[in-house]
Amino acid sequence: MIRKPTIKSWRSAEQWLLGSMALALGTVAGIWLLLDPVPMAVPHFAALVLLIASLAASLIMIGLAGRTRRQMEAMLQGQVGAEARAIETLRSSEAQWKEVFEHNPVMYFMVDAKGTVLSVNTFGAAQLGYSVSELLGKSVLKVFPAEEQLAARSNVGVCLENIGQTHSWEICKVRKDGSSLWVRENAKAVRRLDNQLIVLIACEDITERKEAENALRQSEMYLAEAQRLSRTGSFGWRVASGEIIWSEETFRMFGYDKAPSIKHATVFQRVHPDDRARVEQTIDRASRDGKDFAHGYRLLMPDGSVKHVHATAHAVTDASGEMEFVGAVTDITARKRAEMKLHEAQATLAHVTRVTALGELAASIAHEVNQPLAAVVTNAAACRRWLDRDPPDLKEARGTLESIIKDGTRAGEVIQRVRALVSKAPDQKAPLNINDVINEVISLVQHELLNHRISLRLELSPALPLAIADRVQLQQVILNLVINGIEAMQPVMDRPRELMIRTCQDEARQIMVTVKDCGVGLATENADRLFDAFFTTKSGGMGMGLSICRSIVDAHGGRLSASGNAGPGATFHFTLPLDQEGAP
Amino acid sequence: MTGRQASPSVAGAEDPIVFVIDDDSSVREALSNLFRSVGLRVEAFGSAHEFLQLKLPNVPSCLILDIRLPRVSGLDFQAELAKADIHIPVIFMTGHGDIPMTVRAMKAGAVDFLTKPFRDQDMLDAVTAAIERDRNSRDEAKVLSNLHELFATLTPRERQVMALVTTGLMNKQIAAEIGLAEITVKIHRGHIMRKMGAKSLPDLVRMAELLGIGPASGQPQT
Repeated sequence: MIRKPTIKSWRSAEQWLLGSMALALGTVAGIWLLLDPVPMAVPHFAALVLLIASLAASLIMIGLAGRTRRQMEAMLQGQVGAEARAIETLRSSEAQWKEVFEHNPVMYFMVDAKGTVLSVNTFGAAQLGYSVSELLGKSVLKVFPAEEQLAARSNVGVCLENIGQTHSWEICKVRKDGSSLWVRENAKAVRRLDNQLIVLIACEDITERKEAENALRQSEMYLAEAQRLSRTGSFGWRVASGEIIWSEETFRMFGYDKAPSIKHATVFQRVHPDDRARVEQTIDRASRDGKDFAHGYRLLMPDGSVKHVHATAHAVTDASGEMEFVGAVTDITARKRAEMKLHEAQATLAHVTRVTALGELAASIAHEVNQPLAAVVTNAAACRRWLDRDPPDLKEARGTLESIIKDGTRAGEVIQRVRALVSKAPDQKAPLNINDVINEVISLVQHELLNHRISLRLELSPALPLAIADRVQLQQVILNLVINGIEAMQPVMDRPRELMIRTCQDEARQIMVTVKDCGVGLATENADRLFDAFFTTKSGGMGMGLSICRSIVDAHGGRLSASGNAGPGATFHFTLPLDQEGAP
Repeated sequence: MTGRQASPSVAGAEDPIVFVIDDDSSVREALSNLFRSVGLRVEAFGSAHEFLQLKLPNVPSCLILDIRLPRVSGLDFQAELAKADIHIPVIFMTGHGDIPMTVRAMKAGAVDFLTKPFRDQDMLDAVTAAIERDRNSRDEAKVLSNLHELFATLTPRERQVMALVTTGLMNKQIAAEIGLAEITVKIHRGHIMRKMGAKSLPDLVRMAELLGIGPASGQPQT
């Protein structure tokens, strides 16, 4: 604070002068009145008055001048006070700002072009575990980990190239104790009055946000990785807007580049043309009913490869009451391929056992072909004799030719049946009458039954609905069950050997085929293993027959089971569903 | 399906008949057709049982049998027929004849054993042979029964003399054997020759053989 003693002393001197003049004037007047109480001569009086007047006037003048001067002095003095106050205010403001600067929870750095710290606030230094003096004059790189120093340097460089422009970035710093913190820096290069280029940097600690971000990113990464590993992508579908949101894995699965959202048309572009109608139907129904759905379909990729996917979706209502589906789509191509391979292996095995079974029936089949063949040869000879007659008996010859055609056709049919069983044809499911299938099989085993003195009882329900099935596969099942029955009855000597085949509809309206023998029956300890592969009680058996029969029936959505009879023997049943929706 | 197939009416009641038993109607029909085409009477059956229902006519005939028949095999049926004293020549057919089966069939008196499909001529030859055999055996049976009838007209003494004559003894020897005068033996001998219709001694000897007359018994051994 500046002191001004001169103004104060000036004022008291003036008061003193004014006081002493008034006192002197009073003294003169008193003396005059004392010495000459009679009125004096007029000239003396006039001179006295004049003197007094002039004295008074000068007194007034002095007073006026003093006032003016006092006013001026006061003015001057006020001016000086304001200045002082301003300085005072400035000083306090500076202190305040200094406080703010020092303790504001923002780290301030001022560095020169070389990156030497010119200034740093206490908070800034403290945040990094340093005291201000520990940083001043040091390279700012000191507070950056080695891997960030290059970035720090280049950031400062960018600022220096664009003076006056504010730049911001996020960077990791390292504390004195080696721990790190993430900051967001706002920086600007400015030219100081002394023409020196400096960079002002304000940094805000964003470690928490960064950690949260990192945690989120990591969690997303885990999810993405998990999706990739499980080949399961996720999707969201807002029904009203038709907007579909996919996860990274879903994009990869469908072979598209990542995009914020996609439309149905994009999805359908990949759906296999053969599956499109079905997928469309499912989607339409879901959007109408708003119910959870699951479906499998194929994708036809641009490179011509086919993927099998399975999607499951759960219906939810979002905050605004809009219907939305959240779901997962899994690439099941590998599983499908494995299934197909398994199926192929099963088909091969089924084929082998079929051929083996036919091998066992070779004599029977040969007989079935030979009979009509013998008839053809005999009829042809007879026909020649009818023609050789004189006159030729054309009527008989014609009749004989009819027989030849009939028998030749019959032989051909047997061969066709055998060929179908021997062939390795792929699944051909078609509507068929199970009774026809049974009769076809019987035609092949007739002789076998005869040879084993087995009488066959057929109870085929005439009014059965058609089943959708593979003819050859069903023939194999029936053939196998019949051969099993024949073999089971081989040791039977004390009772008539009878094999019964029955068709009917069970209580669930499914087609049921029953093959019942009166043979050795089932040993209870074997009942559970009956359908296991390689399980056999026969010395020459492979143990594949029933196992394959069961897998064939399963593949048709039916069930094959066995039970012991109340009397001797065993009964095998299998069912076939009327419609094949339940079949896998 | 297993019904009998009537033979053509043109054939006479005394004409031979071919019987066919096969469970396969095609084979049955074809065989019937073949035999009809050569003018043979045929009757076909689906099973042995059906055949047995028939009263066999007394004409030369033969039986064509599939060796594998439902319920009873052809070989067993052949044995059954023999047991029932039905002597009909049998021709076997088989899809695949194996040697043991053939041997068994032939031992049991089968005329032939044909494997399907067979040549028509083989079948017809077999049938012709079988019918011939049946006709012969039927003729033999007829001759024998005639002889039996004639033999039955002989007195016990005449039978005794016949037995001795046919062994080649002289009248004198016979007379000594049975204690008769030679002249009496001679008279018996004349009666025997006349009653039996024998033209000569060898003729009578043949008859004695057919009748199975031995010197010991003097009785036909049938």
